[in-house]
Amino acid sequence: MNAIPVLTIDDVATLDNVLADFLKKAEAELTVVIDRGGNVISQFGDMTVMDVTIIAALAAGSFAATRELARRIGEVEFNALYHQGNGSHIFMNSVDEETIMITVFGPRTTVGLVRFYSTAAAQQVALLLKSLQKDNHGFSFNASDISGAPIFADTPSA
Amino acid sequence: MSIINYASREIQFKIVYYGPALCGKTTNLGYIHQRINPQNRGDLVSLATAADRTLFFDFLPLNALVIKGFVTKFQLYTVPGQVIYNATRQLVLRSVDGIVFVADSQWEKMEENVESFKNLEENLAKQNMSLDDLPHVLQYNKRDLPNIAPVNYLDYVLNNRKKRVQSFEVVSSTGQNVFATLNAVSQILLQKFSKQSDANRAGAGLKPGQTHVAPQPQRIVA
Repeated sequence: MNAIPVLTIDDVATLDNVLADFLKKAEAELTVVIDRGGNVISQFGDMTVMDVTIIAALAAGSFAATRELARRIGEVEFNALYHQGNGSHIFMNSVDEETIMITVFGPRTTVGLVRFYSTAAAQQVALLLKSLQKDNHGFSFNASDISGAPIFADTPSA
Repeated sequence: MSIINYASREIQFKIVYYGPALCGKTTNLGYIHQRINPQNRGDLVSLATAADRTLFFDFLPLNALVIKGFVTKFQLYTVPGQVIYNATRQLVLRSVDGIVFVADSQWEKMEENVESFKNLEENLAKQNMSLDDLPHVLQYNKRDLPNIAPVNYLDYVLNNRKKRVQSFEVVSSTGQNVFATLNAVSQILLQKFSKQSDANRAGAGLKPGQTHVAPQPQRIVA
């Protein structure tokens, strides 16, 4: 039996508090904490405007893709990345070896403010994630909880 | 790494379609995206060159069944098959939970299949992972072409590890057995996390001893 790492309701509430405080101070729209494989760990802010799952997958790819670029100038990786748009921008910073924080922001704020507050937020997120118990309160289920029916259906009308 | 979130009541899994260049990995995802209930999927994101070759990865998020009140979310990725993009393949394999190895059934592609399979094993080893511990299935694609190797030869070449895994005869361009492959790897993946450890019979409702899934009659679309 393998247990899946879990985020309890308390863990998520603590994370949400950190992220809410960061968003308020930085005046950003949305922040997402992801692992480097592209999985969403936590998210906070206005999520109606975009598919967070896709943002997470692409951001993880983008972050990893610049590692080689960093190596060429003698760095292990870039701690932060900034993608500047006309109205909306993305700032990404490393939380720890496994985690990245993505912040989407608009014209209400500046990249300097986002960068300044994201450093402290990332440190708090890193501390919290470090304390997560991976093995001893993992989630598992019985084989009988899974039906034998196909999980995904091929539907011609889709 | 799969992760479970008690607040949003979600479990996330990552499945990677791996295989040599032009073997049909993207076609698999395209077919799934086209045919699955739109309510259960997000957008198909394809980072491809002008010639439709996968440059970085394709990505398709799917929502699936509910287990004990938790929604399972599967994220499907493909890797770029071309040899030069190995760094990208390593990157996409990060935190993988399940693998579909897509082989091109044509005789002339056999060397590329073997190379790609070896490359998969090497890239997993770099992340301290092994196919022995990772839910995976084999997909023998392009079974509609004339110059294809028989299934027992493909099994001999690719399905020769200590524990044989399920293999599927697929025509990804028409969708034949595309969903059977996806369902099998998803079931094995879920079974891995269940208390019953022998998961390899799950998936396509296989009988004990049966590992291969032959083509099904084509579904008639009304």
